[in-house]
Amino acid sequence: MLSPVENVLFGIIFTLAVVMFLKSSIELVRLVLVGKPDNRLKGQIWKRILSMLEYAFLQKRVVSERYGINHFVIFWGFIVLLFANIEFVLAGLFPGFAYHKIIGATLGRLAYFCFDVVSLAMIASMAVAYFRRLVIKPSHIEYRSPEGFIILSLIVGLMMAFFGLHGAEIAMGKAFAPNAMPFSRYVVAPLLTNVSPSTLVVMTKIFWWLHALIFLFFLNYLPFSKHMHILWAIPNCFCRSYERIPIVPREEFNIGRPSGVSIVDEFSWKDLLDFFSCTECGRCNANCPATTVGKVLNPRLIIHDGKVNLRANGTKIRNGNRTNRLLPLITEETNRAGSISEEALWACTTCGACMANCPVFIEHVPKIIKMRRHLAENLAKFPEELAVFFEAEEQRSNPWGIAPAERDKWAKDANLRRFVEGSNPEYLLYAGCAASFDSRNKKVCLAVVKALTAAGISFGILGNEEKCCGDSLRRLGNEFVFEKFAKANVAQFEKLGVKKIITICPHCYSTFKNDYPQFGFGAEVHHHSEFLPRLVREGKLELKGTNGFGRVLFHDSCYLGRHNDIYEQPRELIVCATGQRALEFDRRLAKSFCCGAGGGRMWMEEHPEQRVNINRVKEALEKKPDVIAVACPYCMTMFTDGAKDLKAQDKVHVLDIAEIVAESIKV
Amino acid sequence: MSDSADKPKKKPKRPLGKVRLIPAACIACGARCQAECPVDAIEMNDKGEPIIDLEKCIGCRKCIKVCPAAALEHFYTPEELVILEELKKTAEKAKEELPKEEVAEPERRADESYKGVWVFVEQLDGCAASVSWELLGVGKTLANDLNVELAAFILGHEIAHLIKEAFAYGAQKVYIIDDPLLKEYRTETYLRGTVDLVNKYKPEVVLMGATGLGRDLAGAVATVLNAGLTADCTGLAIDKEKRLLEQTRPAFGGNIMATILTQWHRPQMATVRPHVMPKPTPIADAAGEVIREKLNLTESEVKARVLEIVREEAADHIDIAGAEVLVSGGRGMLGPENFKILDELARILGGTVSSSRAAVDAGWMPYERQVGQTGKTVRPKIYIACGISGAIQHLVGMQDSQLIIAINRDKDAPILEVADYGIVGDVFQVVPALIQELKQMVEDRNKCSA
Repeated sequence: MLSPVENVLFGIIFTLAVVMFLKSSIELVRLVLVGKPDNRLKGQIWKRILSMLEYAFLQKRVVSERYGINHFVIFWGFIVLLFANIEFVLAGLFPGFAYHKIIGATLGRLAYFCFDVVSLAMIASMAVAYFRRLVIKPSHIEYRSPEGFIILSLIVGLMMAFFGLHGAEIAMGKAFAPNAMPFSRYVVAPLLTNVSPSTLVVMTKIFWWLHALIFLFFLNYLPFSKHMHILWAIPNCFCRSYERIPIVPREEFNIGRPSGVSIVDEFSWKDLLDFFSCTECGRCNANCPATTVGKVLNPRLIIHDGKVNLRANGTKIRNGNRTNRLLPLITEETNRAGSISEEALWACTTCGACMANCPVFIEHVPKIIKMRRHLAENLAKFPEELAVFFEAEEQRSNPWGIAPAERDKWAKDANLRRFVEGSNPEYLLYAGCAASFDSRNKKVCLAVVKALTAAGISFGILGNEEKCCGDSLRRLGNEFVFEKFAKANVAQFEKLGVKKIITICPHCYSTFKNDYPQFGFGAEVHHHSEFLPRLVREGKLELKGTNGFGRVLFHDSCYLGRHNDIYEQPRELIVCATGQRALEFDRRLAKSFCCGAGGGRMWMEEHPEQRVNINRVKEALEKKPDVIAVACPYCMTMFTDGAKDLKAQDKVHVLDIAEIVAESIKV
Repeated sequence: MSDSADKPKKKPKRPLGKVRLIPAACIACGARCQAECPVDAIEMNDKGEPIIDLEKCIGCRKCIKVCPAAALEHFYTPEELVILEELKKTAEKAKEELPKEEVAEPERRADESYKGVWVFVEQLDGCAASVSWELLGVGKTLANDLNVELAAFILGHEIAHLIKEAFAYGAQKVYIIDDPLLKEYRTETYLRGTVDLVNKYKPEVVLMGATGLGRDLAGAVATVLNAGLTADCTGLAIDKEKRLLEQTRPAFGGNIMATILTQWHRPQMATVRPHVMPKPTPIADAAGEVIREKLNLTESEVKARVLEIVREEAADHIDIAGAEVLVSGGRGMLGPENFKILDELARILGGTVSSSRAAVDAGWMPYERQVGQTGKTVRPKIYIACGISGAIQHLVGMQDSQLIIAINRDKDAPILEVADYGIVGDVFQVVPALIQELKQMVEDRNKCSA
């Protein structure tokens, strides 16, 4: 029904639009390839395809949140309407083309029915989207960005044009299967009954061209807006990390070669793909502890700034210019578009909530650590108080600079076996720095010792030979010193024939389990929160199961839960020890709110109005617990201090689950 | 099997001796000797006096060093005396038996043309750092033991007024390079000046203060001169026989005191922290020889330029890191108005008030006064912790204080584990009582001296 002239015109416009689109997209691909190699795609192709289907097509993480189902509808609507648009374009290029001429009348009817109904569903979901942004107004400002409204409006425009076109065709009597298209037939067409045929013809033309132009405009708007996530999100799911928590790669230390990332092309191509895949949904922000308490750190903004930076500098970098007038990646200022502020980088606790909630598997934390490496190692530019921490670690191999000879003071009355060369007990109990030096945490360690002894486990300690695991060093970007520790520890474990380790601290646990394999470490690692429940299950440890603790509220530590999937075991342990289930936070399990000490933040200062731990303790006090049960020395410190600051130290006790167990052992 | 006759006689180990209590000398200080003993050889009796198990004692003499009343003495048991005699005899015999040529084998020697003890006078804007004068004090003793001259060397611009001060604090000679290039400290210029002076005048000992500037300069000088350097010494003495500087400093996390000798290279260099050595009394009219030298350097040869000097303005101009006495308040002070009694105590002791993080967070004290992991690290002579629990984050900031006194209501407070003296009690009773007692002591002293 288009005139030949219109066909040719459309042909020209369409070709131009497609060429422009391809050009823009290829440019984006080339920008991504500016990044460093990342060899994660070796093998696992089927696993990746399945994952892609689960997360990108079934939208698993998207629908787990409110209004996620709306996006599910929009996503599948797009896929279905893709076929509608293919027919549309082909009809524009080849006069008279229509599906029913290819696939037959019945299938044709089915197709048109789908297109009609889905378009209606799309309008409905657009209405929901508008409603959410304008009326419900979620607290995250991302939802009301101009780009968002533009895109919604374009989609609505497309749908209106679709219905206008088909309604007019039906009214003219020129539609193939009017009864197959319910909305067009029964709602739109009746509106046009009193319109003259000539006007209807004009209307069809107008709606057709409107649809065509919006469609082609949208196509080319894609690569420049956040909507390009529809190109990148699916491959990003394919390329996701399968580690429980994405681990930052080792640094290659060479003379003359700076470490970390200070120019955008020092990121890997996967990092750059992440920048483009961001849908700017803001779920990372919503769950980030730093953002929640009002700090400058905004994970979504970090990804957005990375994207802007790559776009601003990409061409120059590809032409070999890596130094002259580039938009800096890292800056001291806090709101420069396309540059990430240092303050934001240091505010991260590496809790992983951003990554756990991201629907497209963007890896925020490794990028932050890579940029911290640049600041800490190339520039020696970090918050002043870290100098104390770094020096203490380097000289005394513990964060507080206490003489290493004092490290086994906690064990002086416990009469424990020491690991020496030769024959050794089955397990190494790795106390860690907190349990060795912090008087509160020494008690936790002794509680674990009591439980292990009661269960008849063969274990020993390193005593004074124990060194820090180096966790905070790696998270703060001081990779050089971390490597020194990792290599020394791995060598020590090998020399002593250590095959199984039990740790008191989840950070030691996570570092040994997830980071040390990069250095050739292969021993079995346990944390007491999952080892003690196992002992109970195996009957080696008997607990009374009577509650002398009152209301026990359990806090999921980031490095146990999100980082290592340990959720059920500590809860099981509490049930065995006290006979009843622990109380739960609202923000729990994978959505647990960080205590604020991870990522090296334990050693840094915080503004009194922006204390992560206060936020969490306030949430805890709302549940009116008698005991807050934790399984981590950092959490222990943060909760205890938080309770003191909120003057609640008499109302609530902070205990490690090991201490609860120790008191519940059946004698 | 028959024993010994065929086996070569095993050389007996040189005995180290043992330690015993000098009767009636113990002041029952609180078992410091017992705490110090690395082999748990000391038990305390009911009077608080040490009982030393001679079987366990290894003669390391740590207890003697820590005893505040010098109540322990070193001795050799009769069996050890016998062994010592034997060893002496064997040594003498071995020496006699050596063929003449072997005895005459030349030993490695240090360059004996190096003579004199030098002290670097550090200055900033024409003001001398106090540590330089402290070093002249100990330098005098070293110079006397070596029977050589004590000299000071000053580098700077328009610093002639420091010459008189150097003489007043005991220098017999002053070497001075006054040059515009030395106006502000730069490693290259000061290094060049020092190295030229040392190469020309050849002192056998060079001392510098372990300040930021001193540490920078000393390391550079020692490297260029290929000399040995011990940093942060807490003790300096002379081995008169061998004419060696005995440089003593804590090592291995403070667990041992190491005495280091730089035997073959000259000069022997050491740095000492401020407030470790006592400052001598200046003698007003002292005079001596002044030797002026030139700096053999032009501005164009120096790679570094001072562009800007940024001075830190503390809000109330108090630097707790430099204080010798700190009276510190924590959460236990309960409110800002209660810091008044700490102010008073600090005033009497000539100290400064500091605080833990809790007090700063509560707004009772400014951040410049915060001691701890995220605040300042302090090493005062005396640290009095009032109402501070002593969580590890606080301890980091003050654990190297020379003397720690803690006042806390809670007998299980961690601070009491590291305190030298701990008072379990209410701060609001103890501190006023202390103030009262100190005021009385001051009065009495004034009465006596009047």
